[in-house]
Amino acid sequence: MVKVSNGRCVRRLGLRSMGAARTRNIIAVLAIALTAVLFTSLFTIAASINYSFQQQNFRQAGGDFHGTIKELTWEQVEQFRTDPLIKEDFARMFVGMPTDPPFNKSHVEVSYMEPDAAPHYFCAPEEGTLPREGTNEAATDTHVLALLGVEPKVGAEFTLSFYIDENTKDRQLVTRTYTLSGWWSYDSAVVANHVLLPRSEAEELCALGSGDPYSMTGVWTLDLMFKNSLSIRDDVNAVLANHGLQGEDPSAENYHRIGVNWGYSGVQLSNSFDTGTLLAIAVVLLLIIFTGYLIIYNVFQISVSNDIRFYGLLKTIGTTPRQLKRIIRQQALLLSLIGIPIGLVLGFFIGNKLTPVVMSQLSYKNVFVSFNPWIFIGAALFALVTVLISCAKPARVAARVSPVEAVRYAEGAAGGKRGERTAKKGASLPAMAWANLGRSRGKTAVTVISLTLAVVLLTVTYTFSLGFDMNKYLQNKADVDFIAGSASYFQTSGMFGSEDDAVSEQIISDIDARSGITESGRIYGQTSSMQQFITEDWLRHSWEGWSTPEVLDMMVDNAEKVGNLLADRVTVYGMEDFPLSLLNVLEGDLEPLKDPSKNAIAAVYFTDDYNSTEWGTNYAKLGDTVTIRYVDETEYFWRDTGEVIDDPGILDSYSGSREWGTRSKVYEDKQYTVCALVNIPNSISYRFWGADQFIMGAEQFVQDSGTSSVMTYVFNTTDESEDAMEEFLSEYTDSVQPMYDYESRKIYEAEFEGFRGMFMTMGGALSLIIGLVGVLNFINAVLTGILTRRRELAVLQSIGMTGGQLKKMLIFEGLYYTLLSLAAALVLALCAGPLMGHALGSVFWFFTYRFTVLPIIVTLPVFLLLGAAVPLLVYRSVARHTIVERLRETDA
Amino acid sequence: MTVLETKDLRKTYGAGETEVHALAGVNMSVQKGEFVAVVGTSGSGKSTLLHMLGGLDRPTSGSVSVDGRELGSMADEELTIFRRRKIGFVFQNYNLVPVLSVYENILLPIQLDGREPDGEYIGQIIDTLGLEGKLKNLPNNLSGGQQQRVAIARALAAKPAIILADEPTGNLDSRTSQDVMGLLKVTSARFGQTIVMITHNEEIAQMANRIIRIEDGLIVERR
Ligand SMILES: Nc1ncnc2c1ncn2[C@@H]1O[C@H](COP(=O)(O)OP(=O)(O)O)[C@@H](O)[C@H]1O
Ligand SMILES: [Mg+2]
Repeated sequence: MVKVSNGRCVRRLGLRSMGAARTRNIIAVLAIALTAVLFTSLFTIAASINYSFQQQNFRQAGGDFHGTIKELTWEQVEQFRTDPLIKEDFARMFVGMPTDPPFNKSHVEVSYMEPDAAPHYFCAPEEGTLPREGTNEAATDTHVLALLGVEPKVGAEFTLSFYIDENTKDRQLVTRTYTLSGWWSYDSAVVANHVLLPRSEAEELCALGSGDPYSMTGVWTLDLMFKNSLSIRDDVNAVLANHGLQGEDPSAENYHRIGVNWGYSGVQLSNSFDTGTLLAIAVVLLLIIFTGYLIIYNVFQISVSNDIRFYGLLKTIGTTPRQLKRIIRQQALLLSLIGIPIGLVLGFFIGNKLTPVVMSQLSYKNVFVSFNPWIFIGAALFALVTVLISCAKPARVAARVSPVEAVRYAEGAAGGKRGERTAKKGASLPAMAWANLGRSRGKTAVTVISLTLAVVLLTVTYTFSLGFDMNKYLQNKADVDFIAGSASYFQTSGMFGSEDDAVSEQIISDIDARSGITESGRIYGQTSSMQQFITEDWLRHSWEGWSTPEVLDMMVDNAEKVGNLLADRVTVYGMEDFPLSLLNVLEGDLEPLKDPSKNAIAAVYFTDDYNSTEWGTNYAKLGDTVTIRYVDETEYFWRDTGEVIDDPGILDSYSGSREWGTRSKVYEDKQYTVCALVNIPNSISYRFWGADQFIMGAEQFVQDSGTSSVMTYVFNTTDESEDAMEEFLSEYTDSVQPMYDYESRKIYEAEFEGFRGMFMTMGGALSLIIGLVGVLNFINAVLTGILTRRRELAVLQSIGMTGGQLKKMLIFEGLYYTLLSLAAALVLALCAGPLMGHALGSVFWFFTYRFTVLPIIVTLPVFLLLGAAVPLLVYRSVARHTIVERLRETDA
Repeated sequence: MTVLETKDLRKTYGAGETEVHALAGVNMSVQKGEFVAVVGTSGSGKSTLLHMLGGLDRPTSGSVSVDGRELGSMADEELTIFRRRKIGFVFQNYNLVPVLSVYENILLPIQLDGREPDGEYIGQIIDTLGLEGKLKNLPNNLSGGQQQRVAIARALAAKPAIILADEPTGNLDSRTSQDVMGLLKVTSARFGQTIVMITHNEEIAQMANRIIRIEDGLIVERR
């Protein structure tokens, strides 16, 4: 059999029949574009988060090069960089570090960098240039300049004192004055701040070094980029191997130190292991596919059943089912060709706008919008797949059509049970409208579902944001306007352990000098050595999570004992009256704490995220006696004999098998009576997991411990002065006392609002787009419903239906669609709402499920309007033709 | 008694080059109880005439009165209401409402008018047209002849002054055509119903009391 190519003819048929369906085409293109918008914005956000995460890692890792060969001489650098495996390489020579104030809290490195390396270290000057050779120029970032008190201005002079041979005991302070050749903004995500010098200057400084073999001064590192980041460690080792070295076994002789940028592997790890995120993305993807399917399917399904006579005709004259399918698929692809690009552009734009909203909640310092081509390839593919899935069934319907049937076909004719209607009363307008909806149940269902989806999504979003319970969010924060403390106390792994972290009386009096403070008080933190005495059981109980049974046994054996009680760490607060009032008293009374002669103490019990007390977090009961040992001096001793080791220095180099330990030498034991059991809000507690916690009155604490380090200073202000105080503290902790920081109710509230805002924006955007899809679907359904019944409507008019009655019927139809959707949404909200609320509550501890149908009530008027207006508008365009014209349409 | 009368009825479609005088001055009248057939070749203006008579379209000039009322003087809404009370239509392709059962289709014009159907009368119609067994069916499940019988029943239901039928047998085979024509004739006789029927089939036209022949928009012969 000769196979004649009929592709051209089929294509022509497809194109021609497309031209006949202009409205269908417009709606289909819009639908495809909206689907592509959803995919593109989702991918843009995901890719941007991923990219920002990677950039964040690079900043923490110090740079974005793949690997590093460390501790080289210049000769070695030149040898290594000839290696063919290396795609790019950058050499850098370390000179020294400033560590004296104001640099004591910063990590600043003075070095020479090859110019191409600078961007990889995030040191590309925003203004000016890198230092030029043969000048006294230097470049640095705004943080270093701020610490030096120098304005970031090219040409400014600054003097820097720093140590060379910094890591050896012969370190040497040098002071140089440089001219600022260029500067870049401080990026707090970057761990190290750099001061870059010209090579000659760097070498001159290194020449002053002691030549100590362990000194980092004058040492070169070579940073490498390979073809890709897939096997960095192997690549670096291969380079070493080419020179007879290895970087894996430090004890072997040819070992050389290498570095592998964990930023790359970190990203891969986080990518492949965060199943929660992947799941969320998968769910949203499915939702988008489903939404797209709903409308694109509907558009094609409707258009196929409208054109069914045409397909029947094609079949009569010999078009094969396969060719019919191809005609429909081709139309879909052609429409995608227009719709998808529009969607990609719009989606990228929307994704760009939404990314910062999402990212603002993810504690990333730097937000990068990714312009990865894969976003577009992926979104286009997904949209295309959605289109193909959606038109598969309509294509099958067209292919299956029997030529004879097709000619008789009228929408809804074949459907139905035995083709009967039981209504005896006759037809009222609402009943007719209802019957019209039932003509093609598929179309009606899909339209209703797509509208429902939008309403449900809106309800979920609203429920979500409504359920974000500020009180719950704040419940483990103290009920106080301001908390001031050291910056390190407020950091994520909050620390307080030395007098350096204490809030000075100077700061407190600066704060007190402000007006509007109504209540205030100090919380003293523990900076001296204290111990408590507990039962063996409790000791095992409190350490078992952290230690093996063997270690536990050893701890029990080695613990200092008083009677049958064992010494263990303890964490103690001293609180003035105001912070005491912030505690939640479970049992007992805090009054005795205020009188130091009472020797009273309160035992702290922790709470879980849902604010219920965990009774296993302390052992002390009301009325118990707790012994605290204040240790002034400890001594070393041999465990076997108990003999004191007079010179602990010998232990540094001791290599024998005798075990030694430490014990209290000068100390004071003091007994306290537990007067209350309390919860302490997280925001004023020690912010790290510690030992059992107890609270004393401030006077008692200061008097007994002999220390008075203020961990936090907490205070309330009048409402009017709250803003002024906020402004003052912000400014004060920025410039006057940069080592200190504060938290305020406003900050928590802003945090909370930001979080809620993100969900509102995301959910709102998603509901809006899906709502658009739903409305489009609705318009399409009404439009085709009226257009295909043009003649039928004319008949109704010819037998006496007035225009008003006809409009009423059409409006009923429209309203049925929208009201059915709302009813479905309502049912869903009633049934699934509490379920979802429960699930959300277990994921977000500050979420309280509150049943609401407000979004449904709010959409009601919109849907009523929509349901009435769309049919009316469509009918208006139909009614332009006279009854006779419409009656004649198929008579011809 | 004259139920229907036209005076110099004209209808012109298009303008200039494409101007078509579908009706070029038709004068005719129909008496109560008459069964009139209008015949003519395709394109001669039969359908146009029927549309004018039924008030589905407005003439370019001239007048139509039905039951003593001049259609041209009525506003759209009034005309529609007048139509559903006084004029019944039967079309070539039946034009039943597909979502309504046979019974609902028959009652539709009365209900649109907000009237209570006359049960006995409806019963007689159904009986006459042999539709008893089909009342609950949807139109698409009926044969062409059955559908046309429903259409006739629907036209009769409102007790109109006149029934206008445009090629009622055009889609039917000759046997069924004969059946339907028989029914129309019986109906006309039993209910004293005035009927104007269009057809291009001379044989069918012979069953009417009177034949009006139309050519190029003008009545050319009466009998
Ligand atoms: N809406 C219209 N616009 C233009 N010409 C029309 C229209 N309706 C009918 N005609 C023309 O008027 C003439 C009479 O048509 P019609 O009444 O349908 O004839 P018949 O029903 O006798 O076949 C024809 O030439 C037809 O082409
Ligand atoms: Mg005709």
